[in-house]
Amino acid sequence: MSVHPSMDRDSTEWWASLAAHALIFQRCSECQTWRWPARAMCHACGAFAWRWQPASGRGEVASWIVNHHVFLPGVPAPYVVLNVRMAEQPDLVLPGAFEGPYDDPRLVIGAQVEAGFADCPGDPPAALLRWRIIQSIA
Amino acid sequence: MMLRDRTAVAGVGWTEYAKNSGVSTLTLALRAIGSALDDAGIRHSDVDGVACHRVGDSVQAVLVAQALGIKDLRYHLDMFGGGGTSHQVVAHAAMAVATGMAETVVCWRAVNARSEFRMGGTGRAAPDALEFQYQLPYGYATPPQQYAMLARAWMHARDAKPEDLGRVAIAQREHARLSPRAMMRTPLDMDAYLASRWIAEPLRLYDCCLETDAAVAVVVTSAERARDLAQPPVLIAGAATGGGHTLFSNGRADATVSAAAELAPRLYAAAGIGPREVDVAQLYDAFTFLVPLQLEDYGLVERGETGGFYADGHASLGGLLPVNTHGGHLSEGYVHGLNHVAEAVTQLRGAAGARQVAGAEVALTTGQPGYVGGTCSALILRRDGDPVHSSGQATAPMGNEGNGA
Ligand SMILES: [Zn+2]
Repeated sequence: MSVHPSMDRDSTEWWASLAAHALIFQRCSECQTWRWPARAMCHACGAFAWRWQPASGRGEVASWIVNHHVFLPGVPAPYVVLNVRMAEQPDLVLPGAFEGPYDDPRLVIGAQVEAGFADCPGDPPAALLRWRIIQSIA
Repeated sequence: MMLRDRTAVAGVGWTEYAKNSGVSTLTLALRAIGSALDDAGIRHSDVDGVACHRVGDSVQAVLVAQALGIKDLRYHLDMFGGGGTSHQVVAHAAMAVATGMAETVVCWRAVNARSEFRMGGTGRAAPDALEFQYQLPYGYATPPQQYAMLARAWMHARDAKPEDLGRVAIAQREHARLSPRAMMRTPLDMDAYLASRWIAEPLRLYDCCLETDAAVAVVVTSAERARDLAQPPVLIAGAATGGGHTLFSNGRADATVSAAAELAPRLYAAAGIGPREVDVAQLYDAFTFLVPLQLEDYGLVERGETGGFYADGHASLGGLLPVNTHGGHLSEGYVHGLNHVAEAVTQLRGAAGARQVAGAEVALTTGQPGYVGGTCSALILRRDGDPVHSSGQATAPMGNEGNGA
């Protein structure tokens, strides 16, 4: 159902954390702005000092698509991809898979979701995000 | 130094649009450039600058320069980027000419986008973008999917219905039917639009542009020199680039407003021309919803009013602001923005035949509004002659009741 993620030198730790079923983001040590994907510099204040910090794992559906076309071998259609806006900060938006049927009536913009993790075969160990609805507004 | 009116598009050229060109992108580029030089009445030995953009899907700029026989290349640009950079390439050519680095720069886009390298699809590796690692594992990496994600958010915010996107596809198909060059010339109605298969909901087949094997070229030179050439010059009144954030760079919390909104005020100020003075608009339309989105972000129609604007026929020939008069990427063919520049020039020359916008003096032509690549670029072109338009002040957008053009 997925493809093993490629990683870069900035993102290795984020993917390693996901493999251990923990969602983390960088947080600026100076201005406390959250950021993702991993970058060396804070885009808000220019500081280089930062730390990884565990996230709530909660957010809301910013948008979603239903793929009716086999875009990638091994990922059968139809399937949903979500963009989730994290509770931590409105411009922290992550894609992920959806735990539920592609025509789930609870799936609407603004629905509250929580991160789950789906292990992904391959080396190094990896997991992907799989969001589940915890409160729909539909 | 301002760029305003210092340079001009002196020639435009196209290859045939095909499903399989059977030739290399180098040959496509040379054919389009040859056609544009013939149009301008310039010899290939007079070209001293070349400029293109590409995403690993076309020939290198310097190879084209060598094939043109340029012994001393005074200016070249080989930019990484998709449709967001399409108009920036022309702007850079104008900057090179205006600053004296070069006299005559050819700009082109040449792709075998149907037969060789489909965008994000088979035939080539994923583009050199760090962000792809966060999408690809979910089976999420191609433009229709990325734009569908943004289309849903925009449609939700504007309460837009499928029919609102359908009207864009239909209006442009009607324009394409008047153009011998267009790939898609069979009539399209709402039933056929709504019945077309889902690609990535909320986008259907007819919301998606037509990947094409084709090249388009434009020749940029000084306004002064252009006046001595074969065609009436079309002045580059203003150019701007802007934006930068994608959904993967933080900073874009709202996906319902594009990078075009950032650059539009600079673009109008650079040209000294306001949105109400635009007579015809060629708006980057890899997907239908980008057209109403840009009508909003370029201040041409009030936010939330684009559905009515289309329903009332204002975006069609004879309407307040004809949009994508060649059929656009949806129906003419997908040459990643440069065919929009070529159509704007054709309209301003008054040479568009059955699809001519009467009295067109000012055209807005735009690149991809920065939704995926982050950056956006656009041009305002105008017919040569005394400036007939006055303001340059940002004026109120055209509403349905506006008098527009
Ligand atoms: Zn900071």
